[in-house]
Amino acid sequence: MNKALSMEQSVLLIGSPNCGKTLLFNRLTGLSHKVANFPGITVEIARGAFVGRDGVALYDYPGTYSLEAISGEEQVAVDQFSAALADPGLGLALCVIDVTRLEKSLYFALQVVRECRLANKPVIVLANLMDVLEAHRLSIDLDALGEDLGAPVLGISARTGSGLDALNERVTQALDDPPKPPEVEAQPNLLLRGTAHQLAHKYGPKGDVLLRTQNRLDSFFLHSTFGGIAFFLVMYLLFQSIFTWAAPAMDSVEAGLGWLSDRVVPLLGPQLLQDFAADAVFSGLGAFLVFVPQIFVLTFVIGLLEDSGYMARAALICHRPLRAFGLTGKSFIPMLSGVACAIPGIYAARSIESPRRRFLTYLAIPLMPCSARLPVYTLLIAAFIPSTTIGGVFGWQGLAMFLVYFFGMSVGLLVTATVSRSSRLAENDLPFVLEMPAYRRPAMLPLLRKCWQRCGMFITKAGPIILSVTLLVWVLGYFPNGGENLGESWLGQLGVIIEPVFAPLDLDWRYGVAILTSFLAREVFVGTLGVMFGIEGADENMVPLVDQIQASGLGVASGVALLVFFAVALMCVSTLAVLSRESGSAGLAAKLFAAYVGMAYVMSLLAFQIVSIFVP
Amino acid sequence: MNFPLWNLTRGQAGVIEDFDASLPEIYRNRLMELGFHPGERVTCLQAPALGAPRVYRVANSTFSLDDDIARLLLLRSADE
Repeated sequence: MNKALSMEQSVLLIGSPNCGKTLLFNRLTGLSHKVANFPGITVEIARGAFVGRDGVALYDYPGTYSLEAISGEEQVAVDQFSAALADPGLGLALCVIDVTRLEKSLYFALQVVRECRLANKPVIVLANLMDVLEAHRLSIDLDALGEDLGAPVLGISARTGSGLDALNERVTQALDDPPKPPEVEAQPNLLLRGTAHQLAHKYGPKGDVLLRTQNRLDSFFLHSTFGGIAFFLVMYLLFQSIFTWAAPAMDSVEAGLGWLSDRVVPLLGPQLLQDFAADAVFSGLGAFLVFVPQIFVLTFVIGLLEDSGYMARAALICHRPLRAFGLTGKSFIPMLSGVACAIPGIYAARSIESPRRRFLTYLAIPLMPCSARLPVYTLLIAAFIPSTTIGGVFGWQGLAMFLVYFFGMSVGLLVTATVSRSSRLAENDLPFVLEMPAYRRPAMLPLLRKCWQRCGMFITKAGPIILSVTLLVWVLGYFPNGGENLGESWLGQLGVIIEPVFAPLDLDWRYGVAILTSFLAREVFVGTLGVMFGIEGADENMVPLVDQIQASGLGVASGVALLVFFAVALMCVSTLAVLSRESGSAGLAAKLFAAYVGMAYVMSLLAFQIVSIFVP
Repeated sequence: MNFPLWNLTRGQAGVIEDFDASLPEIYRNRLMELGFHPGERVTCLQAPALGAPRVYRVANSTFSLDDDIARLLLLRSADE
């Protein structure tokens, strides 16, 4: 990024969180920008062309409250800022402050002004949200504030666009004829903190008029009864959006790929090439493209919650119960998303600032009972649990489904609680201090743009990994007999080799192969088992497969063991690819895979032994 | 007589007197950067049920703090 900075004239945009910086960036770049993403952390630096100024790039730096970092994320942001100041291509820094909440903005602004002076770079302070002040008939002496800050202050509104023409003029002026920064003694942070406090009192809006509306809404959304109802409604909508609203688009992606496959595959000639295209390439593409609508919808809904200000309230409501398990209130939405699918859940964990809590949330998400587990649970429960009811109301099968869902979630929380108590992690945490942003109407265009970017990132970063593994599993299942018999393929031979591993659960090699292929996606277990038992379309109609499994003499204890195994094991290459990318550590994904598969095996063995006592 | 910020109930105000000695300096600095300075008035705006983090107003900003951190800010009565 700094290489890019040195090739052109650039302007840097920086400010404290929730000051409206990103909205301003979108206005100044006309929504046309790219986001640079740092693996493993949530820091993003966006770059766009300054509208109306050819050859000038605008960089949007992550918001921090101070240049004294207290987390890894903040340190990256601070380091990037320092590197940008040292770059000769940097022509101007724009520091955005929230004029309605001066104190938290001014300390950071003073630090930025000091660093710019030391680096001999001009800086303009942008007093954003002037429209809010004006709406309440309040005013602020920006010239005097500028004199006290040691940098010119310009009043703007990123929301209404007021003051942006003047800003463009000032930017042009500063880039064409850079002003010489005044030579003054650089003050240490301790003194700046006191200065910020004094200036906030001197210039900040008096009274609580700006907080009244926010407090009225908080009285509702944080109310012990109404707030709880609102929270469950919002979460219900979120869950619906991932499960139901995204479904037609996901079906369309599958249908579109099917349509394309039907037209392309027959043109390819040799059978091997046709099989490769149909079962490896198109299946592999489908394995990750099908998630794109879900990621888009989830990013959109979470963006709405963040931009409207509700996300901070939701995090507050959930914080206490989740803290007992080492998590934070902000873990709730990723975990809830994980009940639909772990992939959007892992992306949603970006909103968690604390690296420790985000790591713990990553641990919990794969154990949430995702929708891919549902066909596996349905098959096994139908095969092993009687369809009778208790008192004609409560069915055993329904109870079993509830228990296996509850089991997965409980294991997830137990894992996070256990890991969070490790001393190394306990020492490395941020306190829960969360700014309550003002309730605002979300800006739709930037949000939609962000959704596209997130989907693009998923396709380019996680897609190739998922496709590669799909191709590998296809090769193992196709050769050496040309896909005639899965049992005689290399994959089948592998199933026979690993049969002793599953023998203690009384499962034969066919189940071993089905478990191996379910690494692509858990629901593949059902289809593979169908192939093993010679049933076509088992994933569409499970009844014949259920009959076959029952007729094969497999015991209840083995069925329960399989349920426990799938509730815990991390059998999903897409999840591992996204986890590896988002955490910035392929090692973490590999360790988690090994740990959860190992834990699943031990737990299923225990379940087998316990059930065997009661149902010999 | 000092008391922890967490003791403020909804609508009550106090003045920040000091920080508990166990609060690490980087967090103490961050709280001051956000406006939680000794001598500053803090008002509890919301105290949601079940021990959820509370919402405080300080210097025209609102922040939510959980009990772990709110117990380490020591206040005196706003009437003194």
